[in-house]
Amino acid sequence: MATKATIFIVDDDPSIRLALENLVSSIGQPVETYAAAQDFLRDCPRNPAGCLVLDVQMPGLSGLDLQSELSHAGIFLPIIFITGHGDIPTTVRAMKAGAVEFLTKPVSDTELLAAIDQALERDRLARADRAGVAELRERYDQLTPKEREVMALVVQGLLNKQIAIKLNNSEITIKQHRGKVMQKMRAE
Amino acid sequence: MVITAPLCFKAVGRTKRADHAVNEFDGSSTIVDAADTIAEHSRSMSGSEKSIEIHRAKPAFRESEEHYRAVAEAATDAIITIDSDSTILVVNPATERIFGYSSEEMIGQPLTMLMPDYLRHLHTAGITRYMETGRKHIAWAAVQLPGLHKSSAEIPLELSFAEFTNDGQRFFTGIARDISERKRLQDRHARLARHAVLHAEVSAAVSESEKTTSEMLEICASAIVRHLDAAFARIWLLNNEQKVLELGASAGLYTHLDGSHARIPLGSFKIGFIAAVQKPHLTNHVQTDERVSDKEWARREGMISFAGYPLLVEGRTVGVMAMFARQSLDQDAIEALESVAPVIAQGIERKRTEDILRDTQRLIQAIFDNSSAVIHVQDLDGRFVLVNRKFEEVAGLRSQEILGKTSLDLFPLNAAAYVAGDRQVIETGSASETEEVFTTDRGDRVFLTTKSLLSDESGKPYALFGISAEITERKKAEAELREMQAELAHLNRVMTVGELAASIAHEINQPLAAIVWNANAALRWLALDPPNLARAHDSAELIVRDGDRAGQVIARIRALLKKTPPSKTLLEVNEFINEVVALTQTEMVQHGIHLRVVLANDLPTVPGDRVQLQQVMLNLIVNAVEAMLTVEDRERALLITSGRFDDSAVRIAVSDNGPGIHPEKIQHVFDAFSTTKPEGMGMGLAISRSIVDAHGGRLWIEANEQHGVTFQFTLPIATSD
Repeated sequence: MATKATIFIVDDDPSIRLALENLVSSIGQPVETYAAAQDFLRDCPRNPAGCLVLDVQMPGLSGLDLQSELSHAGIFLPIIFITGHGDIPTTVRAMKAGAVEFLTKPVSDTELLAAIDQALERDRLARADRAGVAELRERYDQLTPKEREVMALVVQGLLNKQIAIKLNNSEITIKQHRGKVMQKMRAE
Repeated sequence: MVITAPLCFKAVGRTKRADHAVNEFDGSSTIVDAADTIAEHSRSMSGSEKSIEIHRAKPAFRESEEHYRAVAEAATDAIITIDSDSTILVVNPATERIFGYSSEEMIGQPLTMLMPDYLRHLHTAGITRYMETGRKHIAWAAVQLPGLHKSSAEIPLELSFAEFTNDGQRFFTGIARDISERKRLQDRHARLARHAVLHAEVSAAVSESEKTTSEMLEICASAIVRHLDAAFARIWLLNNEQKVLELGASAGLYTHLDGSHARIPLGSFKIGFIAAVQKPHLTNHVQTDERVSDKEWARREGMISFAGYPLLVEGRTVGVMAMFARQSLDQDAIEALESVAPVIAQGIERKRTEDILRDTQRLIQAIFDNSSAVIHVQDLDGRFVLVNRKFEEVAGLRSQEILGKTSLDLFPLNAAAYVAGDRQVIETGSASETEEVFTTDRGDRVFLTTKSLLSDESGKPYALFGISAEITERKKAEAELREMQAELAHLNRVMTVGELAASIAHEINQPLAAIVWNANAALRWLALDPPNLARAHDSAELIVRDGDRAGQVIARIRALLKKTPPSKTLLEVNEFINEVVALTQTEMVQHGIHLRVVLANDLPTVPGDRVQLQQVMLNLIVNAVEAMLTVEDRERALLITSGRFDDSAVRIAVSDNGPGIHPEKIQHVFDAFSTTKPEGMGMGLAISRSIVDAHGGRLWIEANEQHGVTFQFTLPIATSD
């Protein structure tokens, strides 16, 4: 997608929010800040590009809560957690849920910016992956049920003759279906 | 007097010896016969012996003879004529009446038959001497001598005598008047006079304040003895506590105060009985009276009468007075006793009151001097007029060095404060209680002094009274206690802040992190080509703001941790709540506690110590947070509210939804060392309550309807003055 990557910042502390916005802006990245997790859930784009810088402890919905809410909502964003005092169980839980980084204050600007770079890279890759899969799925959706059957057996490495016996078709029919599958799936 | 002496003499002067007289009449009246005889005799003499006087008065004489007879017959006085041998010649009817003899029994008998024994030889000797020498042994006009009645009783008589001579013979005529009645009246007057003297003496004795009670009673008893002819008189005093009569005075026959009558139980014997029934006991028959126990004694001593009177004051028995006499007591004597009894009773009562007063005065003096309080009295010009021993001790001066001087003279270092206090009392007229410092070489001593005005009956103040108790030690102890409490409070603050250390670190780390990032951002904005100065400027402003924020957090913590002497200022209630909330917010977030702060607008300021009140809030919040840590089945919720309690106070409440406190323990949560936390000292709530108390407010706990408890406290708002 052509969407420019945005750094989303969710922190209830105004000092932190403003400082992060300032720092990220200074490297030329677009920034959006939110004072509460609920705000972000409500207002964020459906298919965001970029990463989320998230405070772990917040009144109301916490950082970890937001993480799982986003996952449920099918919104994929790499998350960099920042915490005042990281404890191991919280960290483990966050990383298992797919956090990119878990930073404990004090966090230097280089550390943070490096984490953001990394997150953006991962997002790009993930987005690309997600884009490829989506295209294949689109192509696959164009196959007829017969073609899908043939394709499943082709993928298993069976020969046309074997497939024809299995599907109780003539070899020539299978060859035609195979040609259609290869064409529709743009397999070379 | 009916009869005049000259006529009498003349008449008798013509009388011949009575025994020669011939009764020419019916003899019904001897004196008439005698007078007639004299008259006859005179007649017979008239020729030969013509006294010029009689001769000249011849017709008148006849007349007077008659007259004499009538007078003599009618006379109430006895008229007796004797010869020089004292033989009775003529008597008149009154003589018979007065002496009880008939004229026959008397005429021809010696006159001495009409005299008591003891006068007879005097009469005989006297008349013999008179005959020889002409010297009278008694005066002849209105002499009072007793006569002897036929019944042997003596008769008080007033006698007048005359002498006449007839035929060379000397005759004497006596006129005897029975003055029994007069004598009786006189005696009575004399007695009444003595009674009056008795009353006067008793009255004088009881009103004399110099005398002791026993001296007074002694005078009364002896006055009774003297003026009522008592054998002896006694006065007992009632000892009301012991219900016993104590012999206070005894005069007359017995004067000792010990012995069997010294103490008589109320109700016992006749004296105790008189006291008990409050009625006098009188008898003129002591020797047979049933109330007299020792009749043998009474007979031996010849006691005839007894009179005992209760001494009553307003219906109360104060004693008993009693007397024995060897003669009967007449109504006058009884009345005299009746009249002195209340006087003596009053006297006893007054003495008793005086004794109590004297004792009280002595007591007051003793208290005054032995008091550990420092007592002084100053006149309105500030000169000391009275100081007690303790005052001398404290001042290190003797009273003669103090009296007449002022505070300024004696205590120049402290006088200004003393005089100001004195003046205030004098000007306002109301008592004051102030702490006064007395500076000595060995340091200041502190006294709590109460000063008040002393006023006379009209309410006019005349002096200043001061009583001081030394409170130096107490003040020291109080100061130490305060210091200890402050230490404890400080320790509590340190510990509470320690518990919040992580949260507090976070509170400081947030702006610090922001500062670092903003600074880095600024550097980047400046490094751009061209540099973005606007954003760099914004960054610098953010840095300044964050720096301030961090500084404030540190300042608050420092204030909480600093040992500062308590200082009261006017506080915005919501402000100090918010500051504490800010320190604990992270703590709550961390523990997943939902905090709601509902603060009333327009709350009045309260006078208070910011640090102390924040400590109270801190304790309540930390307690609430800890209480809720076990809650897993519901959202942990903390509610902090402020509002008006009433017209004069605001109310601050901290309410949790934790497990609550057992009803049996709920009232003990404010006790020191009462804690549910293993690491706690249990001082937090105790200290919080003492802080609120010191602010004139109240801190209490209530169980919530559903979950948890609410701690709330009131703080009095600033009064307009």
